[in-house]
Amino acid sequence: MRLKRIVLLSLFLLFAKDLFAKVYLDVYATGIRKVIIAVPYFKSTEATRLRAELPELLQKDLDFSGFFACAPWSLMDRDLLDEGIERSQIAFSKWRSIGVELLLKGKVEEQGEEVVTEIYLYDTSDGSLEFAKRYRSRKDLVRVLVHRIADDIIESVTGQKGILSSKLVFTAGQKGSTDVYISGIDGFGIRRLTNYRTITVLPSISPDGRYLSYTSYKGGKPDLYVVDLKTGHEVFVDRDEGMKVGREWLDRKTLLYSHTYGKFSSIVKLDLETKTKKTILKKEGIITSPSPSPDGKRIVFTSDMHGTPQIFSMDMVTGEIKRLTYQGKYNTSPSYSPRGDLIAFVAKIEGALEICVMDPSGSNVRILTNSGDINDSPHFSNCGRYIVFSSQRKGKTKINIMFTNGENKRVLDLTNQNEMQPRFVPQ
Amino acid sequence: MKLLAPMLVIFLLLSGCAPKVLEVPISDEWQRLKETDAKEEERRKVSLEPETKIDEAKIEVEEILKREREKVVKIEETPFKDILFDFDSYAIKREYYPLLDSISEWLKMRKEKNVLIEGHCDERGTHEYNLILGQKRAEAVKEYLVRKGVDEKRLKTISYGKERPLDPRHTEEAWAKNRRVHFELK
Repeated sequence: MRLKRIVLLSLFLLFAKDLFAKVYLDVYATGIRKVIIAVPYFKSTEATRLRAELPELLQKDLDFSGFFACAPWSLMDRDLLDEGIERSQIAFSKWRSIGVELLLKGKVEEQGEEVVTEIYLYDTSDGSLEFAKRYRSRKDLVRVLVHRIADDIIESVTGQKGILSSKLVFTAGQKGSTDVYISGIDGFGIRRLTNYRTITVLPSISPDGRYLSYTSYKGGKPDLYVVDLKTGHEVFVDRDEGMKVGREWLDRKTLLYSHTYGKFSSIVKLDLETKTKKTILKKEGIITSPSPSPDGKRIVFTSDMHGTPQIFSMDMVTGEIKRLTYQGKYNTSPSYSPRGDLIAFVAKIEGALEICVMDPSGSNVRILTNSGDINDSPHFSNCGRYIVFSSQRKGKTKINIMFTNGENKRVLDLTNQNEMQPRFVPQ
Repeated sequence: MKLLAPMLVIFLLLSGCAPKVLEVPISDEWQRLKETDAKEEERRKVSLEPETKIDEAKIEVEEILKREREKVVKIEETPFKDILFDFDSYAIKREYYPLLDSISEWLKMRKEKNVLIEGHCDERGTHEYNLILGQKRAEAVKEYLVRKGVDEKRLKTISYGKERPLDPRHTEEAWAKNRRVHFELK
């Protein structure tokens, strides 16, 4: 339990805006205090490839999460690897001596088409059992099972579920021909949702997973579509002249988008139950990228009302508008954290586009990428601990993910094409 | 242009023949025939007939050529060149005023033509913002043309953001070319 407190404390510090920079062990540490976990191969009464496959996949997931460093099997001698899964069979002091803080033990049995997996998580400091669960799954869904286990372990250690079972919606293709895809974060279970072979951009899925929205040129001009994913039917199309883009939902049936035509831009609130549009803000020039705070009391958006694109915040009740960004000449694509504590956005810095975060007041701006590339479309995970974004380097655009402090950057490889405009699918 | 090549061949063939036909009458033989034989006179008339026809044909061909040439010149002279913009700007640069003025004059003359005004951006902006920026670039050009007296109904705007770059390279030169408004005649 001592360990758990430390982990929670460090997570609290990390996500309470301070970078927890204590280096725990040089061999593992990358700046964040990672928990060192061991996942030796699983026990089984029969010979099954899952004995090694499950722990291998699990280690990949735990490493990906950024919360753990997995102790390599080469550190463990025969005795440790062959050890039983019961508390009484475990030599905790030996695990401690090789630096292991959390020990994950597993047992797997194949029963016909089913796989039954038992997972036990021990704190090596006092041998306490932190987590014990039995999972029953189909044999062909081992990856789904592993993601589920990883997310549960992350929840047990950090207090919130991991993102390994998360799905992303994004566009992929070549310039002038992009379609909407949905995929697991590991690239498995990928499905193409549109097949228009024209420009289709900025997809998003409603909070209850029912609707998919995007802007597509399939009708010869950029129109905003909302599709019911259950029926596959278009339930709404905005065919007005001009540009319509938006990917933030106020609630499960209300999409926010911007419409620019002629002199004016407006932010529109679309109710999909009544199919009615309501303009909530209209101004000359550019207004776009509306993103609501989780309580729905404010929306942030990009506007050039002061000359250059900057981020503003509007009180939904009073309509009062406050400018949030003052650094630089280009701040766009704001996205509110579901925790309400941060706003991610894109800033132009030294010719590149970088992902930044700031407090909802506009203060405490932190630059999270400094790759010198074209980074775009930041969006928070449902837990608010990760940001997914696209990064274009030398013409190739890939989806990346990182912690909200910029650490634990990972490049996802979902298709062999350019991948853009990622968003977490609500869970 | 398609007509031009065959007509040119005919013209060259005919004009190539013409001097030969004319040469005959002014030769010594022609003098002799003219002086001596009325029958030959008759034959000369026959032989002259093609000559007048040739002249008519020549004139006609020349007129077609002239018309074709005029068409070519007109196509070359349509003023629809791309309007380029500064980074993150949808303000029309002063240097493009004369070009836009000639576009509006042309459109006022050719009332049967409609125009699609496409706004484009370079890649160094966010996807979403660039889609709007491209729209504003197209709108700025449309507004200028409307102010110059072009009927608003003939002008449609569309933005492609950074989705359809003219030059796909990742250089300053390419970016400058891609920050543009492009015209499509309809």
